[in-house]
Amino acid sequence: MKPQTSRSRPAQGDASIPTWLPHFCSAPTLFAVMIVAELVALVVVLAPGMEVRAWLPRLGVVSVYVQWLALLNAVVLCSLRRQLEPLQARSGFLLAWVISVLVTALASAVVCRMDQTLGLQLTIAESSTWRFVFGNSAICALIAAALLRYLFVLEQWRERVRAASKARFEALQARIRPHFLFNSMNTIASLIRTRPAEAERTVEDLADLFRAALGADDALGTLGEELDLVERYLHIEQLRLGERLKVEIDVADLPRDLSVPRLMLQPLIENAVYHGIQPRADGGVVSMSGRRLPGGIEIVVRNPLPPDAPPSRNGVSLANTRARIEYHFGTRGELRVEPGPEIYTVNVRLPETPIR
Amino acid sequence: MNVLIVDDEPLARERLAAMLAEIDDVTVVGEAGNGRDALDALARLRPDVVLLDIRMPVMDGLEAARHLGTLERPPAMIFCTAYEDHALAAFEANAVDYLVKPVRSERLRSALAKARRWTGEHARGVQSALEPGRKRTHLCARVRGSLVLVPVAEIDYLLAEDKYVVVHHAKGEVLIEEPLKALEDEFEGRFVRIHRNCLVALTKLAGLTRAPDGRLLANVEGVTAELEVSRRNLPVLRKLVRTL
Repeated sequence: MKPQTSRSRPAQGDASIPTWLPHFCSAPTLFAVMIVAELVALVVVLAPGMEVRAWLPRLGVVSVYVQWLALLNAVVLCSLRRQLEPLQARSGFLLAWVISVLVTALASAVVCRMDQTLGLQLTIAESSTWRFVFGNSAICALIAAALLRYLFVLEQWRERVRAASKARFEALQARIRPHFLFNSMNTIASLIRTRPAEAERTVEDLADLFRAALGADDALGTLGEELDLVERYLHIEQLRLGERLKVEIDVADLPRDLSVPRLMLQPLIENAVYHGIQPRADGGVVSMSGRRLPGGIEIVVRNPLPPDAPPSRNGVSLANTRARIEYHFGTRGELRVEPGPEIYTVNVRLPETPIR
Repeated sequence: MNVLIVDDEPLARERLAAMLAEIDDVTVVGEAGNGRDALDALARLRPDVVLLDIRMPVMDGLEAARHLGTLERPPAMIFCTAYEDHALAAFEANAVDYLVKPVRSERLRSALAKARRWTGEHARGVQSALEPGRKRTHLCARVRGSLVLVPVAEIDYLLAEDKYVVVHHAKGEVLIEEPLKALEDEFEGRFVRIHRNCLVALTKLAGLTRAPDGRLLANVEGVTAELEVSRRNLPVLRKLVRTL
């Protein structure tokens, strides 16, 4: 796409930067942390070997304690976010994990000591303080590793979905130049007054072009369909640009039933008109000629260059077409560009049968 | 009210002309296919309003507007565009109006109504609203109330004299009221400074020669005038000439 039409937007906050550290202060993450904490509390209470009597009060005590630990960890990681964020994912991940284990160990020790001083006997006998601290830390180590990993993967997955939909939209925009759409509409509006039949045909051509552009996928079509599409496109452009656009097409020799990637030719012609004819006051000739080669075909598209042309033209749609030719034909298909001083030539060679 | 239609697409011009014909006391005095032709026709047609397409070959609507803004009594400018251009945002405050294509008849009428209340002050604002990074394709001189355009590609050299800059080009010379430094900045890479008062087009620079009196002169293709190279600009110039 031309830079004019693809307005570059500033990145939307942090969302566009993939982050390895979950936002522990955000409500959904906090909620996930609390759910996991409660599950841990349940597991601890229900584990076999524990006393079955009075399990409900025990669940209450354990829940309060585990929730408190979990929130403490979340708050610590949240407030250290700025320091952790710049780190590499791997080392940052490890550091966050170590921090949460240390926080748990420390908190467990403090709670144990408080419990013993106050004599509430909520935790464990004095003799096994270290067992209590170690056990808690070990549980935290396991749960924290799993949870950090889970949240990281979740974030990555969201990021991927975001990127995929963005790419799809951009591809759609690249296929349909907004300028072309609105100028064509304007052409039709103008024709309706004076030449209704011509207007009708233009609407049909535009519809065909859009059907092809919106429906194009990685499937194969036939060369005949592609040539028809080029003809429809050029018909609209000739109305729009008037005498400035002259067209020379010589493709009678080409086999119309050859399999080619969909929407392979039209973008090449569109490029030729857009970069070669439109910027020239007196326009010029876009030519497309095709011939059979032993074992394949060759199509050559030529357009004049405007005076003062920028040295290289935007290669997005060319790169796209080239990639698709490569996908379908491997190394036997090629798209070659010959940017001469006055004439710009695109040369496409395709074998008779695609590999995919 | 006299209107000039400027658009590179014949059918787009045709449609606007047909719509304008339906509006009372509006006369289409002419049509042009690009900004440059529009400016050339201006002196002859004296329009009150110019309907300007943005994307056109040779000279686009934004640049044409900029040149129009230098006139003593600029016409009212109404931009037409197929698709919102971000460059247009800067102009919104200063153009009479801007219309999106296909233009609606009501919108055209209301834009023309606004144009009646238009003063030249706004037009001059258009000039300053242009993005600083944009390079013009033409320089524009005012000669007896009309505009003379010189394609930047045809300029041989620019010579500062008092508060003017003399633009020497393939077909003669014109005076413009712009500082040489501003021109040097705008067209960076196209001109090279050989002296405090002189910029030479890089593509026209042919070499350096020493005059009998010891002064160093720049040879510029098709130019017989002696252009002296100052000592200060010599090192850069030497390097450039070596790569010619």
